[in-house]
Amino acid sequence: MKKKLTLTDILVTIVIALIFSVIYKVWGPLYNILSVFGLHVDQLIYGMWFMAATIAFLIIRKPGVALIAELAAAQGGEFLFGGQWGGISLLLYGFVQGIGCEVVFALFKYKSYHLFIACLAAIGATIGSLFLDVFYGYIDQLALWNLTLLIVARLIGAIVITGVFAFYIVKALEKTGVTKIIRPLSADDYQSLEEEIR
Amino acid sequence: MHFELTYRQTWLHALHPVFKFVMVIVLFVAILFIHNPNFLFYMLIGFGFLYIGWTGHSFKLISILSSPFLIIFVSSATSMMFFGDGTNTWYKIGLIHITEESFYRGVHLGLRGILFGLLGLLFALTTRPVLLFYSAMQTLKLKPKYAYAFMAAINLLPIMVSEFQTLRNALKVRGVTYNSGIKGVYQRIQYFSIPLLAQSIRRAHRTAIAMEAKQFSNDRTYYYQVSYSLKDLYFTFLILAIMATSFWVSTIYSVFPIDNVRMR
Repeated sequence: MKKKLTLTDILVTIVIALIFSVIYKVWGPLYNILSVFGLHVDQLIYGMWFMAATIAFLIIRKPGVALIAELAAAQGGEFLFGGQWGGISLLLYGFVQGIGCEVVFALFKYKSYHLFIACLAAIGATIGSLFLDVFYGYIDQLALWNLTLLIVARLIGAIVITGVFAFYIVKALEKTGVTKIIRPLSADDYQSLEEEIR
Repeated sequence: MHFELTYRQTWLHALHPVFKFVMVIVLFVAILFIHNPNFLFYMLIGFGFLYIGWTGHSFKLISILSSPFLIIFVSSATSMMFFGDGTNTWYKIGLIHITEESFYRGVHLGLRGILFGLLGLLFALTTRPVLLFYSAMQTLKLKPKYAYAFMAAINLLPIMVSEFQTLRNALKVRGVTYNSGIKGVYQRIQYFSIPLLAQSIRRAHRTAIAMEAKQFSNDRTYYYQVSYSLKDLYFTFLILAIMATSFWVSTIYSVFPIDNVRMR
């Protein structure tokens, strides 16, 4: 099986990420208003930021796509938002979140595509983002109950959106047949071909 | 997406794109380790001058792009102000507990948010993405397949945005209503992402095949050659000067009566 990324894989990954950037753009203002209250309601949709990574991985199934997707989503965010979120700081976030996902996928040797893996990747991305938040947002200096609320809200949001939603969206996308043209051929495909010949 | 940006080229445009990018990244990481709000405040003034005066864009555009800064300030500051850890209580009602420490930490985070936004804009407004990718290929030896894929994707972006708008209008015309709560969120993501993904992936696939056929995935000669100049040196000195001056002024005239917002 070919594991190296081709230009097609990269372009498709970036395009997936950019679509989610476009969707975030509509959600962005909502996100801003929610975050003003400081009660971390906004954290429930934070998972939207990681979604591109799991979707891209579940579609393309190759190492490195999750990281590229996160970086591209951050970059797309910069073009669309015009640096509203600090432009390049998003790249740093994209990087740690992408690494968080990649580590999870690598632990399963990039061979497992179950719902469970998507959820674990969501947790990985959350840990990555929290790590950077300690430096960027001093979240370790929040009152304990508030910090707990933030972590729990972000985790739940991430698992539901980045894990479950992403998984079912890819499932639905498979029905459109579009995943067939880009996914690397698996052993099953060869087998079904041989059966057809017979 | 149909608007044209007219601007005059300033010396910031002439900097080496990758060099500028690396400088901004270094600056970002350095700012993460600054815990003194006074220092940050003067840095904001310093880079603010650079942002307002030397991006070469019209004052109108700059003010429009700066308008979210207030929201950034408020949204970054509030949760820390209201719920941050601290000992010297100023105000307490219910869950809200504003202490001196948490208040200044909140202000610090707000300033940092604005400074990050400002530096990001300063970079984005003075750098052409195409040149950034070309210079990344030339100086960082970024593989051409990554660079050209990113550049192609940027050009596909307007199509995606207009498809998104068409889709939104189509859904509106058909009078689609959404469930409430978490189901509605999924419904919304589903209605938008699946058609958009299916269309765009097909388009990207076609584009990529064509690009591979034209050897965009292998080494090519470059249409744009990017080089260093003395201006890069000036830029480095200017940044160092802004940092040093901000630090110096912050030790003399402090705006906030606190010099480290971290407690532990």
